[in-house]
Amino acid sequence: MTTTVYSARRILTMNPSQPFASHVAVRDGRILGTGSLDQLKGWGKFDLDDRFRDKVILPGFVEGHSHAFEGGVWKYPYVGYFDRISPEGKRFKGLKNIDEVVAALAVHEKTLPKGTSLLAWGFDPIYFGGRRMDRGDLDKVSTERPVVVIHSNFHVANANSPVLAKANITRDTNVHGIVKDAAGEPTGELQEMAAKFMAYRAAGVELSAVLSDKEAIWRFARVAQLAGVTTATDLHNDLPESTVDGYLQATQSADFPIRILPAFAAGSVAPAEGVPRLQGLMKKNNERLRFQLVKIVTDGSIQGLSARMRWPGYYDGTPNGVWNIGPDDIDRILLAYHKAGFQVHIHTNGDEASEVAIEAVERALAAAPRWDHRHTLQHAQMADAGQFRRMKALGMCANLFANHLFYWGDIHYAKTLGPERAERMDACGTALATGVPFAIHCDAPVTPIGPLFTAWCAVNRLTASGRTLGEAEKISVADALRAITLGAAYTLKLDEELGSIDVGKRADFAILDDDPLQVAPDKLKDVGVWGTVLGGRIFEAPRA
Amino acid sequence: MIPFTVIGGFLGAGKTTLLNRLLGEAVDRRFAVLVNDFGALDIDSRLVTAHGGDTLALANGCLCCTIGDSLVTTLLDLLERADRFDHIVVEASGVADPGRIADLAALEPRLQRDGVIVLVDAAEVRERAADRRLTDTIERQIRSADLLILNKVDLVTDPGGDSGADLAALRDWLYRQSQAPLFEACRAAVPMGLLFGLDRLGITADAPPSADFASWSYTWREPVPRQALTDLLHDAQRGVLRAKGIVRFDDSPDRRSIVHLVGRRIEIRDGGPWGDSPRGDTPDSRLVLLGLKPVLGCLKRQ
Repeated sequence: MTTTVYSARRILTMNPSQPFASHVAVRDGRILGTGSLDQLKGWGKFDLDDRFRDKVILPGFVEGHSHAFEGGVWKYPYVGYFDRISPEGKRFKGLKNIDEVVAALAVHEKTLPKGTSLLAWGFDPIYFGGRRMDRGDLDKVSTERPVVVIHSNFHVANANSPVLAKANITRDTNVHGIVKDAAGEPTGELQEMAAKFMAYRAAGVELSAVLSDKEAIWRFARVAQLAGVTTATDLHNDLPESTVDGYLQATQSADFPIRILPAFAAGSVAPAEGVPRLQGLMKKNNERLRFQLVKIVTDGSIQGLSARMRWPGYYDGTPNGVWNIGPDDIDRILLAYHKAGFQVHIHTNGDEASEVAIEAVERALAAAPRWDHRHTLQHAQMADAGQFRRMKALGMCANLFANHLFYWGDIHYAKTLGPERAERMDACGTALATGVPFAIHCDAPVTPIGPLFTAWCAVNRLTASGRTLGEAEKISVADALRAITLGAAYTLKLDEELGSIDVGKRADFAILDDDPLQVAPDKLKDVGVWGTVLGGRIFEAPRA
Repeated sequence: MIPFTVIGGFLGAGKTTLLNRLLGEAVDRRFAVLVNDFGALDIDSRLVTAHGGDTLALANGCLCCTIGDSLVTTLLDLLERADRFDHIVVEASGVADPGRIADLAALEPRLQRDGVIVLVDAAEVRERAADRRLTDTIERQIRSADLLILNKVDLVTDPGGDSGADLAALRDWLYRQSQAPLFEACRAAVPMGLLFGLDRLGITADAPPSADFASWSYTWREPVPRQALTDLLHDAQRGVLRAKGIVRFDDSPDRRSIVHLVGRRIEIRDGGPWGDSPRGDTPDSRLVLLGLKPVLGCLKRQ
């Protein structure tokens, strides 16, 4: 039984009775106490570890909405507009125009064996002043090898001519999702189901496995850990046997740097089959792996124009989006998991989807009253004050997509939502005011995992173009830090175990170079992450 | 190429009942059926020859797969085993647009889009479609149909009451939204040959599917005027449920044109030059139509 006391420049505990401390004592992977060195001495013999004396210690960050798919896609080259840190800690510079993307792909192409396809991800043409990529661009990468570039939203892709030729896609192919130029020729841009189908077709059926195998889970854990995350969700997974095996193998290693919570994709099988399956999986839980969450995906995305909107709908007049799981099935599935005692996370982007989900929870509670269910709306990007009041009344939580403000805020302001609704989207201020327990998230790989960046978004609400989107919905740095630690832990029902630095909790820390409460709020995202501590084990991050 | 059929319709319209019929009645063809949920299927366990996770194999050669999280990956996996079945049928989810799913056939050279069959619950559809959260979803499904099946008509046709008027109003409502032929049924009882063709090639002339239906085959020695034939098929769409044939059109007499009609959708594609057939067949046009008896009767007189 060894006890280690760590000194720090400052410790931000998220424990209101002792919000700041200079030392934290750790025993058996748990927090023995915080305070001054003198206050901790009474616990007996200890080793004093001064390695963090210049650092600031926070509770390890909790990412309440991410996908292990982030680790899957890092198998392939990243070609996005913004810099992004790889699982190895390498900084990939953002590519600022289509020529840079093509040049990077051409270099990568030379490294690939003959007969394979080239896949890349993270591409986002919305910053390229209207110019779209076409097959001519990608034919410069190769006219023989299939090349597919997947956009950052994962709903659109670009393909080169060999991909189109293999699928017999010509000017005569008249289906949704095949974009054509003014002359009627397919440009190589593919949308929605066409994009997904062609990407999988080009990559071969092994793509599914590559995206979810043990290595992918490791890469996901590393990317998260580099950002100071100690607990992350994989918030929608069918959980086939192969994936479960990958999880079990990865998390059995003491070097595995995070705790991970996969959420069972409730729409993938009937509840009568899903409930016992999830109950069975929970028996396999270990310190770093928790099966306990359920996810229902109701609608699509706002930027993809597939979110379900209430009147008056999309600002640019686009017809309403689509249900992934319709209102009747949301009721049925939610009730089944609710009755079985599970906490259900419900993806709702548009406000009609939020409305349907809230009403489903209301009906489930009327049918089977339960206390502290904490059913959580995930994204809830368009939820208005009235919906937050209903969520509060029903005991629901929200996990708001703060990163969205930066990456798509400009598009929402100009096209999808219009100024008024864009300014109140991802309404952290309203959540706080109405008392709805909330977290904020990245939805990696849709945006990069980085809770300090996410907190920066909630505090500053700046778009990529520099517009402040909704002064009234800004929250303080302290509230944002709570949202990425204890707030997120609450939405996962782990707040008694994680999320603050308090006696008896797990010794999960984020080790920062600076004090986020001392830096200017607009510099929050630039605070360096030295590494993490997970259950007392130290994980230093390589410097990017 | 493998025929690819999508069965759509809102929750409760009878998709599963129809698929149960298909799996029970399939004899000469091995269907691969992609469903949302095995549990809803009514399969006699004695007929299951293999059960491996997401796939059931039946004694009549049919396969059943659950779609799980992704139709795309399920379909691509299935195509890896394309030698094990003759026809793919996808059950769209109750809120999906089945037309979008049928589009996949245009991206996959191994697939031949056959038809989008949409079931409508005669007793419920108007009320469900009046729900503002569902209106567009249900209308999109109806608009996507090549063939509409108005199911559960027994629930609205009560000779003692005035609900016959309800049925007429329902027909009008559907006609306003869709040009697809409307086929009325109880408990999804529809001759499978109408929905999926009678043999692997499409349909044959000599198997009258039931008393209400007729088939008609025609042979032309001379080239067929393209416009006249397509006009005729368009006119007859609401009564002709399927057509299949090889036609020598007047504007391309040297090449075979393959004509394929399911409900309101006519597809004509090139079948290569007449000369290259190993059987050395003569360039006669042959067309087989399958449909409602009165409509075909009218056609015959023309």
